[in-house]
Amino acid sequence: MAKKFKITICSGTTCYVLGGAHLMMLAESLPADLKDQVEIIDSNCIKACQFENAQPPFVQINDYLMSQASVAKVVEYLRKH
Amino acid sequence: MAMNYINNASLLKRQLVVRFARLMFTGELKNKIDLLPLHQAPRNSEAVRCCLHHDRAVIRYRLIALLGFAIENEKPDDEARTLASYVEEAEARGAGRMAGSALTVIDEACSACIRANYRVTNACRGCVARPCMMNCPKNCISFENGQAHIDEKVCISCGICAKVCPYHSIVFQPIPCEQACPVNAIVQDKNGKQDILADKCINCGKCLQACPFGAIMERSEIYEILRAITNPAEATVALIAPSIVGQFNTSLGKLVTALRKLGFDHVVEVAWGADLAAQKETAELIERLEHGQTCMTSSCCPAYVEAVKKHITNIKPLVSDTLSPMQYAGEWAGQQWPGARRVFVGPCIAKRAEAKASPHIENTLTYEELGSIFIAAGVDVAECEESRADLEATSVGRKFAVSGGVSTAIKNAASAAGHNVTDKVIDGLDSKSLAILKAIDKIVKSDTFVEVMSCEGGCVNGPGVISNPAVARRFLEKMLQEHP
Ligand code: SF4
Ligand code: SF4
Ligand code: FES
Repeated sequence: MAKKFKITICSGTTCYVLGGAHLMMLAESLPADLKDQVEIIDSNCIKACQFENAQPPFVQINDYLMSQASVAKVVEYLRKH
Repeated sequence: MAMNYINNASLLKRQLVVRFARLMFTGELKNKIDLLPLHQAPRNSEAVRCCLHHDRAVIRYRLIALLGFAIENEKPDDEARTLASYVEEAEARGAGRMAGSALTVIDEACSACIRANYRVTNACRGCVARPCMMNCPKNCISFENGQAHIDEKVCISCGICAKVCPYHSIVFQPIPCEQACPVNAIVQDKNGKQDILADKCINCGKCLQACPFGAIMERSEIYEILRAITNPAEATVALIAPSIVGQFNTSLGKLVTALRKLGFDHVVEVAWGADLAAQKETAELIERLEHGQTCMTSSCCPAYVEAVKKHITNIKPLVSDTLSPMQYAGEWAGQQWPGARRVFVGPCIAKRAEAKASPHIENTLTYEELGSIFIAAGVDVAECEESRADLEATSVGRKFAVSGGVSTAIKNAASAAGHNVTDKVIDGLDSKSLAILKAIDKIVKSDTFVEVMSCEGGCVNGPGVISNPAVARRFLEKMLQEHP
């Protein structure tokens, strides 16, 4: 069965160094009720960092590109959608 | 104990290093460094501190520390100095080593912290007995709007008020860096700014990790390092610590290529030095035990070695004389490429102090700094090809990155040589574990090897790491499974 959310975590170097490293903890930080609704993918640079004034780290949740992403921000987003 | 939680202050610092390194790569540092505070805290952006001017003043000091200077040495008139003039001074410093402590405190950032350890909370009823006021030896408690108030400038943090309050309304609030320091080496001066006492400090970096204002900076060596790797005429060697695995969510082979892309001519795994150190340390252990010594401790963590020198001198005879893996690897590199600049790349600040006193290493770089340099150079590690280091290690040395790795290696090697030894791991230095170490030969059974790591969990939790230590450990285990 397809999961409700497909979460792509960018672990290109820019994202990883500027905060993305902590997103590697996302899977174990998800509350139980959200856990089986998400599929988490680890990705190379998704090229969002190349725009002027880009604010890494980036996470893509279905069609939504989240900048300055953090575990807390992702969880909050999942709760609202 | 301080864990590596995500921390905005350290992210801002990494961004600043990216800007700094970009200017080094384009050769514009001297011309443009004075613009960096404006770029990092631009007009119309939201200030982190009271106002943008204050933010910029702090950024200016960060840049001075990035250039390797101690902020404590600033003279009153220096406040008017341009950053470009500091670049000139760094340029003139040449390849010479920086004297003095590895850490420096930014007054401007530190002074936002609390002055006194005791605070009156809203639970105060403004009672008639007022034991706090009556018993304060400094007379610094007054009453405002029916509640007690402590004058922070006069308070000496004796704690009497908190003890006598019938409502427990006065709380103890630790100063984060002081609480983190295992050896009481960081203390508040009379202006409320923290001073690091050089004769006590062991450069463990715990205060730097703990400060919520990012007020404690390392005196970086990236200026010298970037200058060397961008100069094709200068040969450079990157000596990568075992804990580098797991710092970039990618393989060791890709990292090796990425380092070469930055301009390092050679890459050496310090874990090779760890392999060698494990052999030597085992031989040393067996010899000492045969001579009747109860136990011997490791010597690879320089913060621990320094703690013995400065605080628990009585156990000095128990510390192994084996050099650290960094020094063996550096020695090898020096024979292989005479005259090349050897840069230790690791998670550690204590290593910086160790390197300064060693003939085998010229500079040290943290993973955080390396990460920022990759970004500035546009090198994406995950997209590099795999390549091999000039000198590779076995899984024995690679395990030195996590606590338990050293003692396992020694125990196995000793048992292979027909000696049964017990191991004990002191995982993280604090006042408790220091007290244990002080009497370690009375606590452990005979024939024990004691591994000591200043950082809880081992070097994967060092002060200069990027990855959460749990994640880094996972990576390392995966790699060891794939390349046993
Ligand atoms: S001993 Fe460690 S925590 Fe204490 S001042 Fe030195 S570096 Fe900071
Ligand atoms: S445990 Fe490792 S990173 Fe931490 S101070 Fe010791 S050598 Fe440095
Ligand atoms: S590194 Fe994440 S978008 Fe490029």
